[in-house]
Amino acid sequence: MSEKYENQGTPQTTITSTASASSLPPPEKPSAIRTRFKVVAAFWAVILFLGFPIWWKTTSIYRAELPLQEMLDWAGGKSCRPVLPVEIEFETPSLSDVEAQQLLRTTQHTLDDLNEFSAHHLRLKLADEEAQQITEKADTALTVRLLAQNDLPSPRSELQTDTTTLDVFYPPSQIPLPSSANSPLSSFIAGELQRLFAEEKATIAQILSNSAIGAAASSNNQAQQISPQLAESITKRLRRSMKYAETYHLAFSLFTPGSAPSSWDIESAVQEYISPVVQALSPISNFTIDTQVQLYATFSPTTPAPEYDEAQGIWTLQEENLSAFINAAEWPLNPSIGAGPTINFILYVPSPDHFPLLVKESKATSWIIPQWGGVFILNPPLPTRPDTNSTKSLSNPPHLPRTSLRPAFLTFSHQLLSLLGTPSTPASLPLRLQTLIRIRAATLLLSASSTLGSLARLTESLPSIPIPAPVSSSVSTTLSHLSASCESLRNGRFRDALASARVAETEAERSFFEKSMVGQVYFPDEHKVAVYLPLLGPIGVPLVLGLLKEVRRIIIGWKGARSG
Amino acid sequence: MTTFFLFALILVTLSAASVASNYHESLHLQPLPPSSLLASFNFKSNTTQTSFKKQHFQYFPRALGQILQHANTQELHLRFTTGRWDSESWGSRPWDGAKEGGTGVELWAWIDAQDDEAAFAKWITLTQSLSGLFCASLNFIDSTRTTRPVASFEPAGDHLAPENLHLLHGTLPGEVVCTENLTPFLKLLPCKGKAGVASLLDGHKLFDAAWQSMSIDVRPVCAGQECLVQIDQTVDIVLDIDRSKRSKDNPIPRPVPGDKLVCDTSKPYYARDTCYPLENPGEKAWSITELFGRSISGSCPLADSQGPDEAVCLHIGPEREVRPSPESVETKLMDEFTRCFTLPPSTPFDLAVSEQEAQSNIPLDEPLLYAERTIVGHGQERGGMRIIFDNPSPSKSVDFMYFETLPWFLRPYIHTLQATITGRDGIRRQIRTSEIIKETFYRPGIDRERGTQLELGLSVPPASRVTLNYDFEKAILRYTEYPPDANRGFNVAPAVIKVSSPEAGRPIYLRTTSLLLPLPTPDFSMPYNVIILTSTVIALAFGSIFNLLVRRFVTVEEASALRAQTLKGRLAGKIVALRDKIRGKSSKVE
Repeated sequence: MSEKYENQGTPQTTITSTASASSLPPPEKPSAIRTRFKVVAAFWAVILFLGFPIWWKTTSIYRAELPLQEMLDWAGGKSCRPVLPVEIEFETPSLSDVEAQQLLRTTQHTLDDLNEFSAHHLRLKLADEEAQQITEKADTALTVRLLAQNDLPSPRSELQTDTTTLDVFYPPSQIPLPSSANSPLSSFIAGELQRLFAEEKATIAQILSNSAIGAAASSNNQAQQISPQLAESITKRLRRSMKYAETYHLAFSLFTPGSAPSSWDIESAVQEYISPVVQALSPISNFTIDTQVQLYATFSPTTPAPEYDEAQGIWTLQEENLSAFINAAEWPLNPSIGAGPTINFILYVPSPDHFPLLVKESKATSWIIPQWGGVFILNPPLPTRPDTNSTKSLSNPPHLPRTSLRPAFLTFSHQLLSLLGTPSTPASLPLRLQTLIRIRAATLLLSASSTLGSLARLTESLPSIPIPAPVSSSVSTTLSHLSASCESLRNGRFRDALASARVAETEAERSFFEKSMVGQVYFPDEHKVAVYLPLLGPIGVPLVLGLLKEVRRIIIGWKGARSG
Repeated sequence: MTTFFLFALILVTLSAASVASNYHESLHLQPLPPSSLLASFNFKSNTTQTSFKKQHFQYFPRALGQILQHANTQELHLRFTTGRWDSESWGSRPWDGAKEGGTGVELWAWIDAQDDEAAFAKWITLTQSLSGLFCASLNFIDSTRTTRPVASFEPAGDHLAPENLHLLHGTLPGEVVCTENLTPFLKLLPCKGKAGVASLLDGHKLFDAAWQSMSIDVRPVCAGQECLVQIDQTVDIVLDIDRSKRSKDNPIPRPVPGDKLVCDTSKPYYARDTCYPLENPGEKAWSITELFGRSISGSCPLADSQGPDEAVCLHIGPEREVRPSPESVETKLMDEFTRCFTLPPSTPFDLAVSEQEAQSNIPLDEPLLYAERTIVGHGQERGGMRIIFDNPSPSKSVDFMYFETLPWFLRPYIHTLQATITGRDGIRRQIRTSEIIKETFYRPGIDRERGTQLELGLSVPPASRVTLNYDFEKAILRYTEYPPDANRGFNVAPAVIKVSSPEAGRPIYLRTTSLLLPLPTPDFSMPYNVIILTSTVIALAFGSIFNLLVRRFVTVEEASALRAQTLKGRLAGKIVALRDKIRGKSSKVE
C-alpha cells in the first residue's frame, strides 16, 4: 500500500502522463519529512535498544564459564605426565653405611639400565634415610632385607606372602667393593625387583597406551619387553575388571532348579572366606555384602540344555553357551540399592537329574562373567532319601554346610580379586593390593581427565545446552584434585593420589551427568517459527519497508547534494 | 464366613506362636452366591531381625528387603486391587477387609525418621524403588497424593521404638493392575509360583476375576527378645464360575441350544417354541482345573504343614460331594462347613465339586456397615459429594472412622457438610452433624502441594441410613497439568472406613469405590490460538498506528497522478493497454 500513495518527496520535474488531468500534490514540507524520519528512528530505537535486549535476556540459556582449554589439555595429556616412582626400602642390618650406599647405587644403576619404560621406575633408598622429609614421605612399596648367610654359593631371595618384605640372603663375600661398578649381588637384586614388578609395569604401560595421555606420555619404547602371553592376560584382566567405584555391593546367591538345598551356612562362609579379602581391600573401596537363596531357578528356554557325556558319566555345558547360563529375565538378580555397582556371585547347585554338571571343554565348574560377577557350579554329594523309594531316590541335600561351601567361596574370593583388577603376581597379597592402588590411581586419573575432555567437547559441539553453575564448580574441583593427584603420584604417595583421583572422578562424572544438562531443552526451530512468525511478520514488514524508504530517501538526498 | 475369619485368626495366632517356622502357604476356597468362588491365597515367611539387618536373605525376598532397609521402613503395606466387592450378595469381606486396598494401588508405611521432612524423603525413596520392583507407577505418589492419617491406621507389628515412626499413606486410584504386577509379586515367593498353591496364579485368570486384591504386608513380630520380620502376601480373587469354565478356545458365550434348555412348564405360554428358562436351582459343579486352567503342581516343599493349617481348605456345605486327588488327606475342622486337604509332594492336585441341589445355604456374614460414595451436582465449576452409610444391624449402632483424601483440585467446603438420617420407615430428616460426628480431623489442601485430608469419627444409629453431603469447587488446572486423557476425568481415591469392632479385637476395614471427577478441560490447541490471536490484534493495532504516523495523506486525484508517475504505475498502465488491445482483437475475430 505504501508504495502506491507515496512519493517520498522526490522533486518532480516532468509530467509524462497526459491521461490524468489533475495536478500533482505540492511537495512535502521538510518538517513533515523530518517528523517521519524521527518516527521511524524512534520505532527502530525501541526495537534495538529495548526489545532486542529483553528478547535476548529472556530466551538465552545460562552457560557457566568453563575452562575449556585447560580441560582439553588434561584430556590430551598435556597437563600431567603420569609418573609412578615406586619406593623400595633397603634394610641392611649387617652392612656398614658405606657398603650399603655402594650396594644401593650399583643396584639402582643396574635397574635404570634394565628399565626402558620411563613412566614407572623403581627408586631405592636406605631404611634410615626416612627421617629427613617427614611431610613428603612417599609410600614404601617394598622392603628389601639383606641378610648375610655364610653357607650360600649364590644369593637367594624369598618373598614373604603376608607382608611387603623381600628377604635376600647372600654370602658375605659378594658385598660389592667400593671401587667396582657392578657386582653379582646388586645385579641379582635388580633382577629380582625387575621380576617382581614386571606385571605391574606391563599393566600400567597398557593402561597408559590405551588413553590419550598415555599416547602422549609414553610414545616411545615400551611393550617390547612384555611377552605376548603377559600382554594378553593383562588385556583380558583389564577388560573384565569392574569400573572403579567407591562402594561395591557383593551379592552372593544360591540358585537351584529344584527345592533343595534351601539353606546354607552363608554367614560363617562369608566370615571365613570373604571378610578377610574385603578387609584387605578396604583402603581401596568399601564393600557391602548381601546374600539370598533362590529356588526353582530354571534355565531360560532359549538356553541349550546340558548334554550327557556317556563316556565319563557327567553332564556338560558347552563353553560358548555359558554366556546364556544366567536366566536374566527370571532370576532375581536386581542390582543392590544405593550408589555403586553390584558384583554378583552365583552358586548354582544342579538338579539331581543333571549330576554332576561341568563345563565340557575344560571340565571346570566356575567362570567369570566380565564386569558382572562369577559363577560356581557346586555338585554336592547326593544323599539318598530316608524313604528309599524306587525311582526318585536321589535328591540334593536340604542344607549346605560350610565344608561343602569352602571350594566355592575360595573361588569367589579369587574371582572378586580379579574382577577388581588385582594382578596375578607376585605371590604376596599386600604387594598385589599396593599394585592395585597404583593401577587404580592411574586409571582414575586417566578416566577423570578423559571425562573432562568429553565434557569440553560436548560443550563446544552443542551450543544450545544449558550449563548450570554446579557444573562449573565441579569442573574446578576436578581440576584441582587432578593436579593434586598427579603431584602425589610423582612424589610416590599413591594412597593420597588415589584419594584425590577418586574425588576428581566423582566430580567429573557428576558434572558430565548433570541432570539439567542431559535433559536438553527440546524446542525445535519449527516451533520457534510458529511462535514468532504471526507477530513478527505483520509488524516487521511495515517497519522494514519504512526503514528502507527512509534510507533510500537519505541516499538520494546525499547524491543530490553532491551532484547539485 | 465367621469360620473363615476364625480360621484366619487361628492361622495368625499359630504363626505368631511358632517363631521358628519359616514359610507357610494356604489356599482357601469358598463358593459365593449366586455363582462365584472366592479363592484366598496366603503366603507367609519370616526371617530373623539379625539376618535381615545383615542382609542374609533366605525366604524373605532380597529385592524387597533391601528396599525396606534403604528407606528405613519398619512396616509396609502395599495393595493392588481391581473390581468391586459386592457386599450385598457376597457378605462381609475376606480378612475383615484388612488385606485389601482401594481400587488401583494403595501404599502405607511406617518409616523410621527423625522428623517429618526426613520421613518424607525416605517415603519418596520407598515409592521410587517399589515402583521399579513392581512395575507400577508408584513413583507418581508425590506430596499431593501423600497423607499422614491420624486415626485410621494402626501399626500391625511390634515396634521397639514407636516414637520415631511416621505413618505415610498414598494412593493411585487410576492405576491399572495387571500381569506385570503379578510377575514380580510371584518372584517374591520362595517357590516362585512353580510349586504349591501359587502355581494356580496365572495372569489370564487372575485379572479376569470380578474382584481381585493382591497385598503385601511386612511387619516386625517380636516374641520376647527374639524379633522376626514377617512378610505376608495374599491374593484374593472372586471368580465367576460360568465365565472361568468357558474353554480357552471358545471364550465367547453362546446361547444354550434349544433342546438343552430347562423350561418353566408352568407358564401359560409354554409351548414347543416358547420357553421361559428356569434358573438352575442347584449349586454349580466346578473343579480347580476348570476354574484356574491348571492344577496345583504338588506342594511347596519349604512350607511346613504341621497343625491344622493344611494347604487347601474348602468352605462348603457338608452334604456336597468333593472329590480330591487320591494322594491327599482330608481333615474336617470343628465347624461343619470347612474341610481341608494336604497337598501331595510332587504329583498334581485337583479338587472337583459336583453339581448338586442346594439343600442348606451356607450362612454369609452380614457386613457391619454398607458405605457408598458418589459425586453429585452438575456443571464445570461446582459439585457435591454424597456419602451414604447404612447400618443393617437392628439393635447396635456402629462407630467408625471415615478417612478420605481429596486431590487439591477438588476444594471441599466443609461448612456445607450436612447429614440426613433415614430410618427403616423411610422417613428422612435433617440432623445436626454433631449428632453423629464425634470427632473431626481436617487438614485443608494447598494448591499443587498437598491434597485435602479429612478424617471423621462417626456413629450411625441402628437400622438407619445416614447421608453426608458437602459441596466442593473444581479448580482450573494449568495447561501442562492435564494428563493426555484429560477428558476421561480425574480419579478421586476411595475412602477408607475403619470400623472398630469390640468383638473381633482387630478393626474391620471397608473401602468405597474410586470416583471420577470431570474437570473443565480446555481445547489443547489453545496456546497456539492465543499466540495467533494476540499477534493478529497487536499487528493490526501496530500497523494502523505506524501507518498513521509515517504515511503522507493526499487527495484521490493527486494520488492517481502520483501513481501514473511511478515506474509501477506506468507498468500497470501498459498492461491495461495491452489487455485492451488483445480484447479488441479477439472481439474482432468473432
